[in-house]
Amino acid sequence: MKNNQIVPKRKQSLVQILNKPKVAGYVFILPFIIGFLAFLAMPMILSLGFSFTRYNILKTPVFIGLENYMTMFTADAKFWKVFGVTMYYVLFSVPLRLIMALVVAMLLVKSTKLSGFYRAVYYLPSIIGSSVAVAILWKRMFASDGVINAILSIFGLPSDIAWLGRTDTAIWTLIVLAIWQFGSSMLIFLSGLKQIPLNLYEAARVDGANGIQRFFKITLPMLTPTIFFNLINQLINGFMAFTQSYIITQGKPRNTTLFYTVYMYQNSFTYNKLGYGCALAWFMVLVVGLLTLVLFKTQKKWVYYEAEG
Amino acid sequence: MRKRIFATSLAVILAASSLVACGSKENPTPTTAQEEETTKAASNDKAETQEQSGDQVTLSLTWWGNQTRNDGTKKAVDLYMTENPNVNIKVEFTDWSGYWDKLSAMAAGGNLPDIIQMDYSYLNQYQKSGQLADLSEYLTSGLIDTANIPDSVIESGSIDGKCYAMSLGSNAPMMVYDKDIVEKAGVTIPEQMTLDELYDISKTIYEKTGSKTLFDGGMSMMQIVARANGSQLFDELKAGKEDSVKLHFENVEKFAKAEFSISPDLLAEKNPDVVETKPIIDGTTWNDFAFSNQFISINDTAGKNLGITMYPTFKDAKTQPMYLKPGQFFSISETSQKKEEAAKFIDWFVNSQECNEILLAERGIPVNTAVADEIKPQADEVSQQVFDYIAQVGQIATTIDAPDPSGKGEAEALEKNTVEAIRYGDADAAEATTQFVTEAKRILEEAAQ
Repeated sequence: MKNNQIVPKRKQSLVQILNKPKVAGYVFILPFIIGFLAFLAMPMILSLGFSFTRYNILKTPVFIGLENYMTMFTADAKFWKVFGVTMYYVLFSVPLRLIMALVVAMLLVKSTKLSGFYRAVYYLPSIIGSSVAVAILWKRMFASDGVINAILSIFGLPSDIAWLGRTDTAIWTLIVLAIWQFGSSMLIFLSGLKQIPLNLYEAARVDGANGIQRFFKITLPMLTPTIFFNLINQLINGFMAFTQSYIITQGKPRNTTLFYTVYMYQNSFTYNKLGYGCALAWFMVLVVGLLTLVLFKTQKKWVYYEAEG
Repeated sequence: MRKRIFATSLAVILAASSLVACGSKENPTPTTAQEEETTKAASNDKAETQEQSGDQVTLSLTWWGNQTRNDGTKKAVDLYMTENPNVNIKVEFTDWSGYWDKLSAMAAGGNLPDIIQMDYSYLNQYQKSGQLADLSEYLTSGLIDTANIPDSVIESGSIDGKCYAMSLGSNAPMMVYDKDIVEKAGVTIPEQMTLDELYDISKTIYEKTGSKTLFDGGMSMMQIVARANGSQLFDELKAGKEDSVKLHFENVEKFAKAEFSISPDLLAEKNPDVVETKPIIDGTTWNDFAFSNQFISINDTAGKNLGITMYPTFKDAKTQPMYLKPGQFFSISETSQKKEEAAKFIDWFVNSQECNEILLAERGIPVNTAVADEIKPQADEVSQQVFDYIAQVGQIATTIDAPDPSGKGEAEALEKNTVEAIRYGDADAAEATTQFVTEAKRILEEAAQ
C-alpha cells in the first residue's frame, strides 16, 4: 500500500495512480494476494523445508535429508494403517454422499412453495456438520446408551451395540456423519439439474422412454460435468476430514478410525515430531494431487460437455 | 470518478483490515508485543474511570483441567484482578491431552503464555529446551514467599539446583470406588490391595451386583509395577529391559479375559481419560484410577458416595510403590515480558488464604503448610477424604521417579495402543511386551537426540 513511494513520471496524484485500470485491479485482489502469500504459500514452503528436518518444536530443526520419508514408507507400520483407514473412509463416504445429494436434489428440483425451505433445511448439516458440537452430538447418539440403540430396541433389534467401540462399526458412524452433510453437493446438483433442457425430456417421452430410461439416458449424462466437479471437491474434502476422528473417536478402537490428518497432528504436536508431521502432510498433498490429475485425465471418457457436441 | 475513488479506497481498507483480522484470529492469546500494546491501550481506556494506579499489565494464564477446576480458578483470578485493578489476566483452559498439543504449538510460535500450568512429566522437556524462566531469583528476593513452603516442594520443581516450577499441591495416585456398590456386594476394600485381591474382589462384586471392573492398563500402573519391582519404568525402557512391562501386560491380559471386566469396546466409547466420561460416573464400573486431586471433580460429576484407596501392589513387592507427586506446577515462560508480575500472581496463588479458600485443594493439598492447616477444617467432607488420603500415603510413600524423559508422549500413545491390542485379543502379553519394549526404546532414543 506504499504506492506513494513510486515516483511518477508526470505528476500524478495517488488517487489517479490507484484509479488506473491496471493498478486498480491489483488493489482489488490485494487482500487475497496478501492473505494467500502470508497464510498459505509461506507456511507451505516452510513445511516443505521442515519435512527434511528433525524438528521437535522446542529445539532448532536439524537437516536429515530424506530420512522422514524413508521412515514413513519403511519403518512406520501405523502410517500404512492410517493411510488405509483414510482411503476406506474416502472410498465409501464420497460416493455415498454424492448419491444422497443427487437423490435429494432430484426430489427438490420441482419448484413448490416450500422447496426453498427444504433446500435450506437440507443444507444446514453441511454448515454445522464439521463442528465440534455436532461431533459431540454424534458421540452421544451412537453411545451404547444413546438414541440409535434406543430406536433399535423399539423395533426389538439388538440394542446393546457399542457402535463407537467396535472395530467393525466405528468407522461407519463417521461415514454416516459424512453422508449426512450432503448439502453443498446437493445445491450444485440442483443448479445442474435445472440447466438440462426440458425439450430433451419431452422428446424422450414422445419416444416412449420411461422414468428410469430418462434418468440414465438424459439426466445422468447431462449431469456429468456437475458430478465431475462435485467428485473432485468432495474427494479433497474427504482427505481433509479431521474433527470427526479427533473428537468422536480419537482414532479408537484399534486405530480403525485414525484419520491421516489426525495422525499428522499427533506426530506434529503430541509427539513433538513436527518434521515428520510435515513429511506426512506433503505425502498427502502428492496423493490428492495425483488422484485429481487422474480424474482430470479420465474425464474425456465419461464427462459430457454439450458445447463439444 | 467519485465512485471509483470510493471503491479503491474501500479495497485498501479491506486489504488492511483483512490482515488485521487474520492476525488476531491466528493469535488467540495476545503475547506479541504489538497486541499487548493494543490490549493495554484498551484496558487503559477502561481503567480511566478507575484509579490511575500505575501501568496496566496483561498476563496470560493457561491450565488443563475439568469443570470444577475451571470454575474455581476463574473465580480466584477474578478475585486477584479486583484486588489488583492494574492487572488483567486472560485465561485459557483445555483438557489434558489437548493442552500439551496446544502448548507445544505455542512454544513453536514463540508465544507461550506468561504463566503456564506445568506437569512433572513435561517439566524436563520444557526446561531442557529453554522455554521456562528461572524462578530462583524471585524465591530469594521474597517476591514468591517460601517461608511456609517445605524445601522438598521447591526441589520437586527444580532442575540442576534452579527452580523452574512452583508446585501447587501434593497428589498421589489412587483408585476410586463406588462405596454403595462395594457395600451391596458385602466386601471391604483394604487400604492397599494386592493385584490378586483386586481380582478376587472384582469377581465377587460382579457376581453380587453385576457391576464391572476397570483395570488401569496405562502408564501410571506400569510405573507402579516397575516401582514395586524395585526399579524405574523409564530406566527399564531405555535399557530395553522387559521385566516390569511383561508383568504389567500379563496383568492386563488376565483382567481383560475375566468376565467381570468392562468390555474393550465399551471402554473405547467411555474413555476414562476424561473425568466427565469415566465409566464410574454412570455406574458401568465400580472403580476407576486417577490422581487424588481429581477425586473432587470425579465426585462432583458422579454425584455418588465414593471412596479412595491406594494403587494395588504385589504380594512380594520389593518396595512400596506408592509415591507423592507434586501436583500441577505454575511456571513462567522465558519469553514472558512481565515475569515479575507473573511471579507476584504465583505468590498470591500459593500463599494467599483467600485464594486457597476458593480453590479448596482441587489441585492437591496446598504446599504452604500454614494455608493447608487453615483450609483443612473448612474443607467439606469430600476434600477431607483427599486430605486424609494424602496424609496416609505420606506415611508409607517412597521417592517419586525422576521426571519423565522426552518422548514420553509418544511412548504413552504406543502403550495405550498395545494395551488395546491385548484387550481386543489381537496380541498376547508376550509378543506385546517384545514389540512395545523395542519400539519404546527406539522412541526414547530418538527423542533424546
